[in-house]
Amino acid sequence: MFGRLLWKMLRSNRGRLAVALVAVISGATVISALLDLQFDIERKLTQEFRALGPNIVVSAKSGGQVVTPGATVASNSADLLTESVIEHTLEAHRTPEVVASAPFLFVVARVAGTPVVAAGTWLDQLAKLNPTWRIQGDWIASRDDADQCLVGRKAAQQLGAVRDARIGLDYLGRHAQLRVAGVIDSGGEEDNQIFMNLPAAWNLTGEQPYISLWQLSVSGTSASIGDYAAQLGAALPGYDVRPIRAVTQAEGSLLDRTRLLIASMVVLILVLTALCVLATMMALAMERRKNVGLMKALGGSIARIMSLFLAEVGVLGAVGGLIGCAAGVALARWMGERVFNASIAPRWEVFPLTIVLMIVVALAGALPLRLLGKVKPAVILRGE
Amino acid sequence: MAPLVQIDNLRKEFGNVRALDGVSFNVDSGEWIAIMGPSGSGKTTLINILGGLDTPTSGCAIVDGTDVARLDEGGLTRFRAEKIGFIFQQFHLVPYLTALENVMLAQYFHSTTDEREARTELERVGLGDRLDHLPGELSGGEQQRVPVARALINHPKLLLADEPTGNLDEANEKLVLQLMSELHNEGHTILMVTHAPEIGALADRRIDLAHGRLAQVKASV
Repeated sequence: MFGRLLWKMLRSNRGRLAVALVAVISGATVISALLDLQFDIERKLTQEFRALGPNIVVSAKSGGQVVTPGATVASNSADLLTESVIEHTLEAHRTPEVVASAPFLFVVARVAGTPVVAAGTWLDQLAKLNPTWRIQGDWIASRDDADQCLVGRKAAQQLGAVRDARIGLDYLGRHAQLRVAGVIDSGGEEDNQIFMNLPAAWNLTGEQPYISLWQLSVSGTSASIGDYAAQLGAALPGYDVRPIRAVTQAEGSLLDRTRLLIASMVVLILVLTALCVLATMMALAMERRKNVGLMKALGGSIARIMSLFLAEVGVLGAVGGLIGCAAGVALARWMGERVFNASIAPRWEVFPLTIVLMIVVALAGALPLRLLGKVKPAVILRGE
Repeated sequence: MAPLVQIDNLRKEFGNVRALDGVSFNVDSGEWIAIMGPSGSGKTTLINILGGLDTPTSGCAIVDGTDVARLDEGGLTRFRAEKIGFIFQQFHLVPYLTALENVMLAQYFHSTTDEREARTELERVGLGDRLDHLPGELSGGEQQRVPVARALINHPKLLLADEPTGNLDEANEKLVLQLMSELHNEGHTILMVTHAPEIGALADRRIDLAHGRLAQVKASV
């Protein structure tokens, strides 16, 4: 009989309840979308910040160095980074995920008499390490490719180097001949550089196989990146390991502010939804005084009568929450594409959370129904 | 055998207005009592107190061994569900429930529902072909017969009818009064408020109230 009564009540008040349902659906839609974003925002923002480039730099204590002709690069070889140190360290520290990493050896070489900074590196990592760089031509897929190079936009202009052109680098009588695979536009100082195979750079200098700098792009929050940098620092006591604060702190700050904004909006929407339900329930409570008076006269306890009304509101919250969740998935996807330029996958934990929130909000909005508990059947049945 | 209803020095005041002023009488089980009197004489107040819808200011009103004046809110609720069957002048049906569901509603608040029993009760009052009709789809007489079935469904000790024919035309009035007579003949105890002397004459006894006091008690001819 409970279900039968509930169904009849829902049907008989469908007009008024539809208004409250629309409010609950609207609230649930925005809340579930925001919660999807809230849960996904860390990953999205982290991805966004990874696009800004490397976020950890490792160098010898004496600092990253540019090798100039005739200069002695380091007085103590124990302080020098080597490729094997890098590979060993990467192997030992797998988490959080290292998206890309590349060692650099900077050399001031000459191209047709013009001095230019040549950077020996893992060419296959450049695109992943610097997602914002644009290229005319092709990235170099193999780090063992010693015949090709990438040239910065300004250097290419200065040297008259275009894609597929061949350029010759000279360093203290040593020579390297390279084909230009692509011209890079980084928007930074890298536009003045030439990127070449690391062993080819060592051959050009004829020096020990050392490395000036090691750049890493590590996924995770600013805190986890800081932790990872500390781990590397502990593992490489002779080296200077620095998270790039500008990136990691901006990320942390933006995350905190975004979370606060989303939490504030969720609370605001919950309050507004509750107010809308409250207004509807207030009107319904007034309409139902007569029926409640009759039910009381027939021996209905207030608990039994109120359980009917609360179930009605609970159904309202659950149905509104469910429909809103589905709409929220679409809204979250749209917001993800528009704001983050990436798809946001629905988080299943958002569904029960949103539905429970909507039920709680609907029940909170049903507070006016408490007035029905004070209805005096004798007064109501007299028609007052 | 103790009377089913014992009313002793019953008083009810609404602010400065004294609706009942020292009313005392008894009702035996199986009696049909007509409560009569002009408007404002306290008839409905008396019925409401006996039905546990209201509480007296002083005095006692014992129904089937239960002093209504001593019951709390929960006790009054159970008392209404278990011992009283109400028939109101204005029918008081839930508009979105069918005739059958309106009867089952009383079962639901009493204990558990039994649809077959509810059907039987409606068939008894001549509404076997109106079970699934909403109140708005029934005539006045049919609407009044639904509360009669509803009042009987839980086998109450006392039927309280507050001007049950007050809103009916002559034909439907006859139908309802015939039903009341049948119920009386079956042994139901009935207290019925009415203005009409000819209806009051159908009862075993007539109790007249005036200004909240017992004016006259007399057996019908």
